[in-house]
Amino acid sequence: MAGASSRIIAVGELYRKFANENTREARGLRLLLDWLSPDQREQLDNFGYFEVLGCASRKRYRIYHVKFAPNVYEIDSVGRLKEGVCFLPAGSLVTGDVMLAQKIALETDEHRAIAVANRFSPARDWPRMLAREAISGRSRMDAMNRCH
Amino acid sequence: MATQIVMDHTGHTRHCFNPNDAQALASAEKRFMELTGLGFTAAVRKGPNEIVKVRSFDLTAEETLFFPRLVGG
Repeated sequence: MAGASSRIIAVGELYRKFANENTREARGLRLLLDWLSPDQREQLDNFGYFEVLGCASRKRYRIYHVKFAPNVYEIDSVGRLKEGVCFLPAGSLVTGDVMLAQKIALETDEHRAIAVANRFSPARDWPRMLAREAISGRSRMDAMNRCH
Repeated sequence: MATQIVMDHTGHTRHCFNPNDAQALASAEKRFMELTGLGFTAAVRKGPNEIVKVRSFDLTAEETLFFPRLVGG
């Protein structure tokens, strides 16, 4: 009886692990992590965002791991948010996919990305709000990594 | 095996094919043309720090990633 019970628990755990690994969000995050450079991956692990260099202007952009747009900001030489650039791939994509498309667009075709983007000044409290959201995103990623 | 990864509502879909198989290669090239024709961007990873946008089918690419056209948010 005890053996059957422990088998049921083990199967339940396996199922939950499998389900977690196959959620849309988890698959998107795994793809993102796979395509990030080692430095970007470390940044994402530590801060909940990563930075990219625009291929044309050499400006630095920060891409936050948050579920809401806008999540891309041009940053100044000391890392302060300078201007928001709001663009994303069309359609209903998961967060990791959106972030990966934004990274590749800025690194390979910055002019096109900036041409379609809506630009805005970040509100004063946005850095704090983004940091809070990015940390919860980081928690999600940590949980996924533990299951991986 | 080579892979074409297409971002979609499921997270993404992977299409694996043998680049030494002429028929599989033709199907992969057709998929490339269809997706880029629909406005998808195709990108290939050349190393840990380098990703390039490709405008024509790359026979040598191990992984090609496709994402939909960009729009303002």
